[in-house]
Amino acid sequence: MAVSRQTINSIEKERYTPSLPLAIALARYFGTYVEEMFHVDEQPG
Amino acid sequence: MSTNNPDNAMNRLYRTRWFMPAFCVLLAGVMFAAFAIGGDIGSGAVSAGMLLLVGALFYFGGRRSETLAGLAGPGRDERWERIDIHATALSGGFLILVIIGAWLVEIAQGKDGSPYAQLGAVGGVAYILAVALLRWRS
Repeated sequence: MAVSRQTINSIEKERYTPSLPLAIALARYFGTYVEEMFHVDEQPG
Repeated sequence: MSTNNPDNAMNRLYRTRWFMPAFCVLLAGVMFAAFAIGGDIGSGAVSAGMLLLVGALFYFGGRRSETLAGLAGPGRDERWERIDIHATALSGGFLILVIIGAWLVEIAQGKDGSPYAQLGAVGGVAYILAVALLRWRS
């Protein structure tokens, strides 16, 4: 994974939204899907 | 689907531990030469020495501080690239505000506004060109 430990920490704390390639790489690393790991707050209306 | 490629040759060069210290050494040499040509070797030595200290701080401090590692290069990843873009935009915006403020002060004092008018014009043209280039590439 070409990111620092601090970046992983920021993602976990939801202070940083990873790029799509990194999100896919993280999902593959944990053997799951991107939509299982990350969610988007639905906009009302 | 294409994605960004953070692993290109320039990024690999920039992320090595020696890049920023080497850049500081190079800049220190150029600064010293400029001062020497201007006949002020003493100030050149002081300025070059300060820049060499900054280079050493990047080299040795990068092992202990994420901020120094990111500024120096090795600690950079996509989050740092985003931080760098935002910091550059923030400092550029601040600089433009200072230039406009200084230009207004110069004008209010009855002067012609130099060199702030020219600096502001260069900044504005550079921004428009950058927007056009980035829009064309996107």
